[in-house]
Amino acid sequence: QHTLEGNRDHTAVIHICLSIYLDRYFQTLYSSLTVVVLVHLSSDVDVIDCSVPQYNNRLDTPLPDVPFVRNLSSEQKKLKEKEKGSWTQLTKEEKLALYRLTHELSYAEMRQGSKEWMTVLGGVFIFLGFTGLLVWWQRVYVYGDVPHTLSQESVAQQTQRMIDMRVNPVHGFSNKWDYEKKQWK
Amino acid sequence: MAHPTQLGFKDAAMPVMEELLHFHDHALMIVLLISTLVLYIITAMVSTKLTNKYILDSQEIEIVWTILPAVILVLIALPSLRILYLMDEINDPHLTIKAMGHQWYWSYEYTDYENLGFDSYMVPTQDLAPGQFRLLETDHRMVVPMESPVRVLVSAEDVLHSWAVPSLGVKMDAVPGRLNQAAFIASRPGVFYGQCSEICGANHSFMPIVVEAVPLEHFENWSSLMLEDA
Repeated sequence: QHTLEGNRDHTAVIHICLSIYLDRYFQTLYSSLTVVVLVHLSSDVDVIDCSVPQYNNRLDTPLPDVPFVRNLSSEQKKLKEKEKGSWTQLTKEEKLALYRLTHELSYAEMRQGSKEWMTVLGGVFIFLGFTGLLVWWQRVYVYGDVPHTLSQESVAQQTQRMIDMRVNPVHGFSNKWDYEKKQWK
Repeated sequence: MAHPTQLGFKDAAMPVMEELLHFHDHALMIVLLISTLVLYIITAMVSTKLTNKYILDSQEIEIVWTILPAVILVLIALPSLRILYLMDEINDPHLTIKAMGHQWYWSYEYTDYENLGFDSYMVPTQDLAPGQFRLLETDHRMVVPMESPVRVLVSAEDVLHSWAVPSLGVKMDAVPGRLNQAAFIASRPGVFYGQCSEICGANHSFMPIVVEAVPLEHFENWSSLMLEDA
């Protein structure tokens, strides 16, 4: 593990903070798991104890109820003590470390979204294509012939009869036929 | 009848049907406005970058969005009630026809002056003449004089049917043991098609109604011919 010997240059602090972060992450994971195990001794379900305040990543709550990292290591406690003093004394990396202690995700990270939609869309198109194949097969091999009234000649005769009958003369069908010139308008 | 790919109502052949068409336009426009507003609000709420989205209490907006829908509903209800009472007006018909529904055909009785009655069966697809419409033509049509108020008494002999001709703005359920009255005036001559509108068995889709509105002289000729044939 890393030690705090010698001068505290920036890279050492970054390494320290990252290792602290990962250490804390796994420690909190383990501690939450132990809570879960204590609550449900025999099931593998991921259960949250809702009677205590929980941490949440939400756009509309900038300050969650509890900080993300609950159990601080000694270096983190020292950083917290330093935070109680003047904030102009803090370096940029220390400020970032303090932010990451209290928050899991930043606003930019919360808003970024994922690329899952491409997978979903691709799956939808695959199933639509498959359905199209089924429908085509059904049309060719299962359905019989259409009635003779749908042939071109029959449809033409029916259309002529509709024009002669003045079907929908106000806004619809016969309105669009020019009776003097005997053609569509 | 409807032309291919027609989505809206058929053109009216009856004054009340015209009123219904205008009312439908009015109500649909209101519906379109409300739907557009709601769709806009949804997209605005989903795509906003603001984070404080949860207002918990506000009296003014609550008042607005209670009063405004009430006003809109009144604007829809007033024309609707007007047409409803218009349909029920006394109209002093010149002619009374009885339309009796059977499984699976209609029979019409003109009993004002003589006893004229006939059945109206659908023309099967294989017997159609060139130019006739599939599933809509019948062997005998109900002929009425145009521009005369006509009263139709609708009933059924066996099961529920419904006598419907959209162009004339008529849809009346045929209930066995009950006489339902519908009235219409055919404003223009022509042939108006309709179909049975209450599920009545295997051939429910195959018992159409055809009303032919002709000038009075033609109607008199037709009824004399039918009486001779009967």
